[in-house]
Amino acid sequence: MADSIEAIQKAKKTYLLVFGALLVGTVLTVLVATVPALDIGGHGFDIYDAILGLLIASTKATLVAAIFMHLNHEKKLIYWVFFGSIFFFFAMGALFALAESSPIFDYNFYK
Amino acid sequence: MEIPYIVNPRKDTGLINSKIAIWLFLASEVMLFGGFFSAYVYLRLGADYPWPERTLPVLPGLINTFILIGSSVTVVFAWVALKLGNWRQFQIYMGITVACAAIFMVLKGLEYNVKFKHQAARLHDYTIVEGHLGYQKDDKKEYVFDRHGKKIEENMIRVVAEKVTVSVKRFHAPWVNEMLSEAKHNGSEIKLAADIKAITEEGGKEVTLAKAGEPLSLDLLGKIQEVQIAALKHNAALRTAALRMEWKETKKANPGKKGWQLSSDVNIDVDALSPRLLTEVSNVEFKVDPPTRFLFKPRDIKEGATSSRLRDDTVIAGVMEASPMVFHNLDAIDFQWLVMRAKERGADPDTAIANSWLMKNSEFVREAWAWHLAENVKKQDELNRRFGFKEDGKTPKETLTHKELYRIGWKELGLMGVDTKQVKIGGVDKIKEEFMGPNYKARGSETYPELSVPREEIRHAAKFTPAWNTYYAVYFTITGLHGLHVIGGALVLLYYLVFGRKMFLSNPEWLANRVEVGGLFWHFVDLVWIFAFPIFYLM
Amino acid sequence: MSAQAAATSGHDHSHDEHHHEIPFWKKYIFSTDHKMIGLQYGITAMLFLAFGFYLMMVMRWSIAYPHEPLPEWMSWIFTENWKARWLQDGKVTGETYNMFGAMHGTIMVFLGIVPLGFGAFGNYITPLQIGAVDMAFPKLNMFSYWIYLLGGLTMCASFFMESGAAKSGWTNYSPLAGFADGQIVNQWLAGQTQWLLGLVMLITSSLLGSVNFITTIINLRARGMTWMRLPFFVWAMLVTAFLLLLAFPPLEAAGIMQLMDRVTHSSFFMPSGLFTKSDGLADLSGGGSPLLFQHLFWFLGHPEVYVLLLPAIACVAEIIPVNTRKPLWGYKSMVFSVLILGFLSFIVWAHHMYMTGMGPAVSTFFQTTTVLISIPSVIIITALLISLWGGSIRFTPPMLWACAFIPMFGIGGLTGLPLAFNLVGLHLHDTYYVIGHFHYVVAPGILFGLFAGVYHWYPKITGRYMSGFLSHVHFWPSLVCMNIIFFPMLTQGMAGFHRRWYNGGDAYLDKATAATADGANVFANTVAQNIDLNIVMSYGAWILAVAQIPFVINLFCSWKTGRKVESDNPWDATTLEWATPTPPGHGNFTFDVAVYRGPYEYSRPDCEKDYYPQWQAPKKPIGGTPDETEDKGHH
Repeated sequence: MADSIEAIQKAKKTYLLVFGALLVGTVLTVLVATVPALDIGGHGFDIYDAILGLLIASTKATLVAAIFMHLNHEKKLIYWVFFGSIFFFFAMGALFALAESSPIFDYNFYK
Repeated sequence: MEIPYIVNPRKDTGLINSKIAIWLFLASEVMLFGGFFSAYVYLRLGADYPWPERTLPVLPGLINTFILIGSSVTVVFAWVALKLGNWRQFQIYMGITVACAAIFMVLKGLEYNVKFKHQAARLHDYTIVEGHLGYQKDDKKEYVFDRHGKKIEENMIRVVAEKVTVSVKRFHAPWVNEMLSEAKHNGSEIKLAADIKAITEEGGKEVTLAKAGEPLSLDLLGKIQEVQIAALKHNAALRTAALRMEWKETKKANPGKKGWQLSSDVNIDVDALSPRLLTEVSNVEFKVDPPTRFLFKPRDIKEGATSSRLRDDTVIAGVMEASPMVFHNLDAIDFQWLVMRAKERGADPDTAIANSWLMKNSEFVREAWAWHLAENVKKQDELNRRFGFKEDGKTPKETLTHKELYRIGWKELGLMGVDTKQVKIGGVDKIKEEFMGPNYKARGSETYPELSVPREEIRHAAKFTPAWNTYYAVYFTITGLHGLHVIGGALVLLYYLVFGRKMFLSNPEWLANRVEVGGLFWHFVDLVWIFAFPIFYLM
Repeated sequence: MSAQAAATSGHDHSHDEHHHEIPFWKKYIFSTDHKMIGLQYGITAMLFLAFGFYLMMVMRWSIAYPHEPLPEWMSWIFTENWKARWLQDGKVTGETYNMFGAMHGTIMVFLGIVPLGFGAFGNYITPLQIGAVDMAFPKLNMFSYWIYLLGGLTMCASFFMESGAAKSGWTNYSPLAGFADGQIVNQWLAGQTQWLLGLVMLITSSLLGSVNFITTIINLRARGMTWMRLPFFVWAMLVTAFLLLLAFPPLEAAGIMQLMDRVTHSSFFMPSGLFTKSDGLADLSGGGSPLLFQHLFWFLGHPEVYVLLLPAIACVAEIIPVNTRKPLWGYKSMVFSVLILGFLSFIVWAHHMYMTGMGPAVSTFFQTTTVLISIPSVIIITALLISLWGGSIRFTPPMLWACAFIPMFGIGGLTGLPLAFNLVGLHLHDTYYVIGHFHYVVAPGILFGLFAGVYHWYPKITGRYMSGFLSHVHFWPSLVCMNIIFFPMLTQGMAGFHRRWYNGGDAYLDKATAATADGANVFANTVAQNIDLNIVMSYGAWILAVAQIPFVINLFCSWKTGRKVESDNPWDATTLEWATPTPPGHGNFTFDVAVYRGPYEYSRPDCEKDYYPQWQAPKKPIGGTPDETEDKGHH
């Protein structure tokens, strides 16, 4: 938590910069998804578009978390708690996806 | 007794209690939304139907993203203002934050409202039609009103009821009242078909509970229900006692034998018991005189040609009239699922489409499909120009997506209307369409015509709600829950805005801490949206 | 400042600025004091446990005597209307059995053990053991209790509705759980829906409780209470709180999605092409996955069993040093084990799902982590066992229960080991073996540990000992009956008895050859060989019920007539809760608490007494530095 007046004034500028970056990121993510000329990985929605979209979103999220939520100068304990939960979220998602994609047989009941 | 470290941090951890608490809470929220997003991944990977890609209009979502990001910044500045001791600035920034939240919810409400009014239907051959149902009109193109003075949606099951058999235990009172008032409105009466006679006392004589011709009423049903419950109670007790007796005797007569060995020999002596049993009246039949038409919502009734059953086990004997689903404005034709199924069978997609009910029964759809194919040729040419061909010089490197090939959305039908029927629409109206969906009035019924689908053709139908498919289910659940979090967070922040002055004057440090904690929650809400927006609107 | 009861000795309330009378309803009903809230949790949980026990007694009748009507002594509690609706000629029907079974599991796990272990013991003892004045957020604590009560009552109220209570197993799998009670027109009045609503409330209660616990343990420790000086009880509560915090939300997500399925007709967990006898092809979009529910459920479900376990181990870990007069053996190993246990518990869940058709990659992963997680559990239980070695053992009532916990939980844990392997799971999944395994862990395991805690801390709460005689009358029949009920389940399970049969296997008997068990149908023979165990087990269950009566009598009567304690620290223990007045007043401590050493300083050679309490300031030696931090602990 920035405590001195000068530190807070400097922080204000940082906040505005981040705001700008977030707006740019938002516009960027929409453009990449809607403008055909900017479609990476080939025509149509594919895994590359998904990865790019999530990457932009993650960057925005990191900026919000680090700057707006003061994580960049927060105590270690808070880091552990928050990133621990992120880790468990990813573990859960990954294991769900793994379980879904690794069945004991390939079923196709759309006859 | 005061809890320490509410305002001043503890030395070794360097933290105040509420800071630890909010981050712990946010960790649990990560897991909550994580559970939902994992469900999204799971459902999308495992979907056995064409997953709707990029079907939501982007503009409302984009504006909402800007608004939420903006509110994130203003909440930080509100906190900064507090730290610098500037109450006025705090009020302004916090006010903007809460206002942004309100605008966000209004936009979201608009989005939801548009979807809840939009109808979709899947036919048995997996064709999907979407559009606006509208309300019933008579031959003079005037609205038809029901007895409540309300318009009738073009999605009702019509049954000409001759007999109504009510389940005494399970009847749903509001539905009974509906039937009564509808019958009365049509000049019909619902009357008891035959006398209801029952033995209501042990060893007693049959009593007439109600005579034939008595009109259906909740009082009558209530009276019969009372008798039935009493009879069930009495009979159950009697039978239980009889069974206990049988077991006692059988065990005495067969010492040393196990229960399962004896069980088939233990039976209640029904003959001995039946004179003592009371009559259990479980269903009561009523005559509808003269037979009249009832309208039912599809979800409430399991319809059949000559007999239908309501969800409260009321059986309606009578012919089901034609109960088509009438789209007053058809605005999308989707063959993707039909093609997916055809490919699984090894059949040719184009033949399958040509054989679909929609193509066979709608001139408009045939025209639209032909136009769509022509447009697709142009689109493919464009792709060929951009990406070229593979080594063999004939196979294009990039082909149109499944959606582009087999779905005609409302925007495309709009283009067709402009192209072939010279329908004019202004720029402002086009932007409005991004929020409110296709503008049927402006574009007219040449662009979005009427389509009547017979009930028998429909396999599943719903508005654009969680019931329609798992995509909408997970979309509404996540954005809805997110919306609740927006409201909750905004209320907390509003509380500080409205009631914080006293604390600002007495203990500004504490207020700054509380606003910071509230702000942390607010940023989390923003974080979730930062992911939800691209995932649902852009992927 | 008024105290809990009149029994405070005349300690100086110098910390309290002003005396004011707290009105009755604020002191006892809407209290924000962690001790009162702990007692509220405890009493409510025990009532729910009794209710869940009763459900099981009826189930055991159906299993032992499937064709016979419920006897008078068991059915008098039901109204005639209820019996007419739910019993057929007085017999327990399959539907009723399922309803009782689902609610037995739900009530015991969510409304009984977790609130008793975490809510009651956790709330009462944790702030005392760390030297805090209360929890970090007392009002939130109160809210947690009341929403737990509301959730529990919602779930139980559904017994009296037309639909009855939830009946799709305590695991509430879709699609059955999405369909069950579907005939009710207003879905909000359906038992299944109310189960889900109650669950959301319970989860909220637990989440807010965990936030409270963790914040308290991190930030409200007394001066000198470093991490490695914390009693193991507190470590266990910390890990339990983290498990609840991170594992419950996915179940809340699943619960919300299942609610959506029921109320908005979505298809989160409904696969395509679902067909039911009553309604034919379901009018649903399909495209969903029943497995998704299972994953989300068991993501909580597995950490949940450690949530059940850790408070009981916490109690036992406190009782053993006090009653052996020596330190807990391997304290550091136990702490690291419990932390690793907590972490690992998140990544083992699919061992509950071996039969769902998962491929080798996934099942190998989960088998590995499951076998791994047995290691910290074994370390903990072994440490407890070794703690007895060479001790000067006092067989007080708490010690009796704590010592029984070790072998009983040992059996439970060991019988779980085969279940870790999917190959074995093929045979044992959904059989009575599983029921035997987890009941061993929970019933003679966890419950004994919690009983031990009740007997141990009762003197601090009331100022009187519980009757030793009654505790023996409670203990010995309970121990014997528990083994009579659950050991044969292991045998029956291996023979193939399915876990949700309502007639004890009777339907599978070949009546013609069952007496000699040598018919052509091999399975029928196996059933015949083991079905009579049902009767013995059921009698065990009913006698077990009787054996709890001395406990109830003990609990209430000792409060007024029990032997009074001689001091505030009647067991001569070393942990901070014994430094408070009896019972502790508002604010807990009457002096400025500081901690000078570890939690289990018993029988130190340099001490005249056989225990050296944590809070006792060290004597300064003549001309030298004070012997302060004997344990060299840093935080």
